[in-house]
Amino acid sequence: MLKVKGLNVAYGGVQALWDVSIEAGEGEIVALLGANGAGKTTLLNAITGVIPALSGEAEFEGRRIDGMKSAELTEWGIAYLPEGGRLFPDMTIRENLEMGAFPRRMWRERAKRLRDVYAMFPKLREREKQLARTMSGGEQQMLAMGRGMMSNPRLCLFDELSYGLAPIMVDEVFGIVRSLRERGITVLMVEQNAYQTLELADRAYVLENGRVTLGGTSAELLGDDYVRKSYLGL
Amino acid sequence: MLLTVLNVVVGGLIMGGIYALISMGLSMQYGVARILNVSHGEFIMLGAFFTWALHTAAGINPLLCVAICAPPIFLLGFALHRTIYKRLRDVTRVSGLFEGNAMLVSFGLMFVIKNIALMRWGSSPKGYSFMAYSVEFGGAVFSANRLLVLAFAVCVSAAFYVFLNRSRLGKAIRAASQDAQAAALFGIKINRVMAICFGIGALLAGIAGVLLSMIYQINTAMGMNYTIIAIIVVVLGGLGSIPGSLIGGFALGLIGSVVAYIEPSLQLVAYYVIIMALLLVRPKGILGR
Repeated sequence: MLKVKGLNVAYGGVQALWDVSIEAGEGEIVALLGANGAGKTTLLNAITGVIPALSGEAEFEGRRIDGMKSAELTEWGIAYLPEGGRLFPDMTIRENLEMGAFPRRMWRERAKRLRDVYAMFPKLREREKQLARTMSGGEQQMLAMGRGMMSNPRLCLFDELSYGLAPIMVDEVFGIVRSLRERGITVLMVEQNAYQTLELADRAYVLENGRVTLGGTSAELLGDDYVRKSYLGL
Repeated sequence: MLLTVLNVVVGGLIMGGIYALISMGLSMQYGVARILNVSHGEFIMLGAFFTWALHTAAGINPLLCVAICAPPIFLLGFALHRTIYKRLRDVTRVSGLFEGNAMLVSFGLMFVIKNIALMRWGSSPKGYSFMAYSVEFGGAVFSANRLLVLAFAVCVSAAFYVFLNRSRLGKAIRAASQDAQAAALFGIKINRVMAICFGIGALLAGIAGVLLSMIYQINTAMGMNYTIIAIIVVVLGGLGSIPGSLIGGFALGLIGSVVAYIEPSLQLVAYYVIIMALLLVRPKGILGR
């Protein structure tokens, strides 16, 4: 489904990614672990064409997606949730959701899509007229996910979903990610919260200084001495 | 006494309606396209002179001129963004630097437009008479054209507000003004939205110019005054806030009318005192965040 091959990326003259290759199969949850500055967000940005790659390619459903315009993302069936949710703070919850279905073809059926998303996130419906900036951090993350779902994506890219959330909200957010797998949606998620992420994900890659240093099933990584010491603090 | 109050209030609302239109226009240009358009007033002047020319030369009803002038003035703004400001944004990557450069460019644009108009129409005041009869309203007497201008300004403001809040494009504009990068991730074409916003800004200024020509004498140097007032209102209402511009416009019009009744020469002074006081108390304006 998603195939990244030999990606090299530089930011302002400094190389941030070195020959990165990863894969995520249909309906699989794949995690990218790594410390701050390891290049996790850069990888998501390069996959979605927000920043150009020096070489290498990213392919989704057999089509090249690196280098495309980020404006085309939703139409290709990809939802990208940047870090911090990036909601439209002075628009209502409902309006934020509607923007997730902005391309004209989706806009026409936004009422139906709203119903689907409200079914997934009933709390959003109760407060649909409220401004996004009045919500708590966890609720904002729910809204960001709901907005991503409005385009009926087949691939979701999540950057630090759990960042800054209370533990109970992390559970709730991760529960939603699990439900995406049941719908056959492929998920590539960047996380710092290694333990919980490995419990959720099917497979994971470890990114260090811009290189993939480890990769395997979550069970393998949970049992790996290096991962246990460096990322799980065990 | 009551009649005087009614007179001052209606006079203030009429000015306020014009102020609201031009300020919403400037707000569109600054809020989304990040251009503090110093040449804003020149589009008001263009709207006024187009109307005057069409009315005096061809006898066209000034109200019809709103419909005739609107598309070309919108397109002029749209094209200016496409040809100048978009390129400027492409070459100036840093947003703070772009805002400074864009303002300098708009200064140049102001002189270009003003001087072309001066070559064409000269510097003497122009005017025409349209619906200049009196109507009685609650015991006070107003000229019909002024009431018409007020009604028109209110309708255009309301229509614009509904457009921003209900239509797909309007929502895209608001989203882009709040987080352009995030908006781009959902398929909103930022460059196009910015050009449209600049065009809408010019359009609102042009409509205000058409309306102004119905009630006041016009001249080719009239633009700057309105630019300053629009900047005051936009700062007053909160940079980039459309409801802020709407409220700020009517508030400033009313205050101006009261001050002008007491001492006409103090009107601009009062505006500046208000804005200085407000900036000290609420640095981000009435509805700014």
